[in-house]
Amino acid sequence: MFTKSHPLQSKSEIILRNIVVIGMILFFGIFLIIPIVIAFAGSFHEWNPLSGTYRFLGIDNYKEVIMSPLFWTSLWNTVIFSVVVIIFRVGLGLAIAYAIHSALVNFKSFFRSVFYMPVVTPMVAVAFVWKFMYNPQIGTINQLLGLDVNWLMNPKTALAAVIIMTIWKDFGYAVVMFMAGLFSLPADALEAAKVDGANAWQNFRYITFPLLKPMTLFVTITSIISYIQAYVQILIMTEGGPGTATYLSSYIIYDEAFVKYNFGYASALSFVLFVITAGFTWLSFRVSGTEE
Amino acid sequence: MMMKKRLMAVMSAAAVMAAALTGCGSSSQGGGQSGNGGAADVPAEPFGDTVKYDPAAAINDGKDISIELWEWGSDELFQQVIDGYCAIHPNVSIKLVNNPWEDYWTKLPLALDGSNGPALFNVHNSYHENLINYMAPLEIPLEDLEADFTGVEAHVIDGKVYYIDYGMMTGSVYYNKDMWEAAGLTEADIPKTWDEMREVAKKLTIKEGDKLIQAGLNFNDDFHQNYLLGLNYQLGENLFLEDGRTPNVTCDAMKQVMQMLVDMYKVDGVGSENFGEKGSDSFGQGQSAMVIQWGHYYNTLNTTWTDINFGVFEIPTFDGNPYAYNRYNGESTFGINKNAAADQQAVAQDFVKYFLANDEAQIAFNLAMSTFPAKKSLADSEEIMQNPSLSVLAEHIDHYIWPGPMPSTVETSLKTAGQDIFFNGVDIDTALNAAQENIIRDMKSSTFQSVEHLYKYAK
Repeated sequence: MFTKSHPLQSKSEIILRNIVVIGMILFFGIFLIIPIVIAFAGSFHEWNPLSGTYRFLGIDNYKEVIMSPLFWTSLWNTVIFSVVVIIFRVGLGLAIAYAIHSALVNFKSFFRSVFYMPVVTPMVAVAFVWKFMYNPQIGTINQLLGLDVNWLMNPKTALAAVIIMTIWKDFGYAVVMFMAGLFSLPADALEAAKVDGANAWQNFRYITFPLLKPMTLFVTITSIISYIQAYVQILIMTEGGPGTATYLSSYIIYDEAFVKYNFGYASALSFVLFVITAGFTWLSFRVSGTEE
Repeated sequence: MMMKKRLMAVMSAAAVMAAALTGCGSSSQGGGQSGNGGAADVPAEPFGDTVKYDPAAAINDGKDISIELWEWGSDELFQQVIDGYCAIHPNVSIKLVNNPWEDYWTKLPLALDGSNGPALFNVHNSYHENLINYMAPLEIPLEDLEADFTGVEAHVIDGKVYYIDYGMMTGSVYYNKDMWEAAGLTEADIPKTWDEMREVAKKLTIKEGDKLIQAGLNFNDDFHQNYLLGLNYQLGENLFLEDGRTPNVTCDAMKQVMQMLVDMYKVDGVGSENFGEKGSDSFGQGQSAMVIQWGHYYNTLNTTWTDINFGVFEIPTFDGNPYAYNRYNGESTFGINKNAAADQQAVAQDFVKYFLANDEAQIAFNLAMSTFPAKKSLADSEEIMQNPSLSVLAEHIDHYIWPGPMPSTVETSLKTAGQDIFFNGVDIDTALNAAQENIIRDMKSSTFQSVEHLYKYAK
């Protein structure tokens, strides 16, 4: 299947390479490509794999998605949720990483670990704890702030409350990524700026930040992909409520597939969301000017 | 009736043997259930009412056979029945397999679709549509089932029955006796009508200025299950129109119930949508004086909220003469896998018959789930009547109605409607219209057909 591409490669290397490549192809084929193809075919059907229902509908599911007010509401919520969380994740992550990286701060590994701890804690556990903290009667937040707000059931605060929890949980990822970026910056560029008399802000604005652009782009794109798929925090903290005020696109997919067993419609939603995700990712490359 | 039970107990006690000596194995996954359940009574004579079980009849010609029984909880309860059955039939081994509820409804249909699925499985009727295509009909004559159990006719599909209810669960009012006494209320104040209920709730409400300290009544998070999908019957309206499929949630009765809920909080001030995320938890935490909950709550209070000194009374009505007091839902008997091997299905059929004929098992399951027995002969059972959440239902149990295994969208859409009204400022008509449209959309591919017309007092 694979021919020898370099005269110095040994036969055993080629065999090993072929085994690894075939293994990867099989893995992605079985666990990624085939399920995607099945889901795509299913998106044109009334499909409930648990009852055995599978009836061709043409593009009806897609029409229903486009005509659904709840889909557009949830899409708008998803955009707000993703944009706000990503801005804070990148901003906080960069600021804290820069602060930790500074010569003024000792115990860098300690701080890095502290900020990363929420990231490795399961979302389910974090969401339950924050839900308890938001409780209007016995929650810590109202007690600390002296307020009487039903954070998760007030349409003005519910999505913001979920966003705050998500930022708290996830910004540590950006801290670690930006710290890795900061440690790998070329020392000569920073030295040259210093020799030229650049102050701290100029140093950051004209040297550090531009050099961190690939890392910023990476964090942004991985964040877009993961936040467009976010639903666990909604499932646990608000169940989409009050009413449908905190429905996110992925939560509808979960609701349609695993509550209503409407897998055909859920698949159609998934592919629409896939196209939107791809669009946002492309846009990120364009905005950053590094699409090439 | 009591004589018959004593006779059966004497017969059962006549022959006792240890299940450990039999081939009755048991194990479970994830449920922590231990192995054999130990000694079990072995009846010598046939028992049961119309559906009789003959312990002398050999199973699988006495040859060893193993089957699985899948369930999602209450392992000990199932194990007791298995032990009793296997004590009679030492050649039968029944392996109890526990799958958590969240996984159960995905794993089970997929397992039943293959050739190695469990011969027996626990059923919840809310998943009827995903299971019914994999189920074998019971081999017990329909008329025998109807003679012994209520509500059988609602489960008949093309002249066959695949599972029935062993118990009926519905809502009652749970009240905090200490708060009741502190408010100067007595047993004589137990309300019979909703007007009386609202007055009692006002007396039980405590405020400091505008701040609610103790809610007289709390229906947060469960108003859709315990009020909207039940009180419509008191006002003479079914949940579905005559075609059995079109939801009737925009009817005047539903609007009246919804308005009453809004008035209780906004006019009477007996509670607040912001006071306690869930009414059931708020009652358990001693913050609310009354809640309407279904039977399972009795066990929750006795196991989770043990400090609460509570009592139970029947749900009030609007005029004392309701079309039906409330909706009920059945706890279902076991399902039998039609794709299982014929000899395994035969064991499964025999096990279900044993379960239905066995009064002790019926009482144990009903008490464990706090459901009113569907078995007619147990309606006045002493053990059942000792459970206050069941005894309050006894007088009018035939005035409770089952709409059928409704798709979940009926509940979730009404929950959304209620939240829109209470939290998002949507008016009642608009919210219920949206719920109606949503239910219709979600039920397009459903085979659900209401069985409200089978209610004993159906109009």
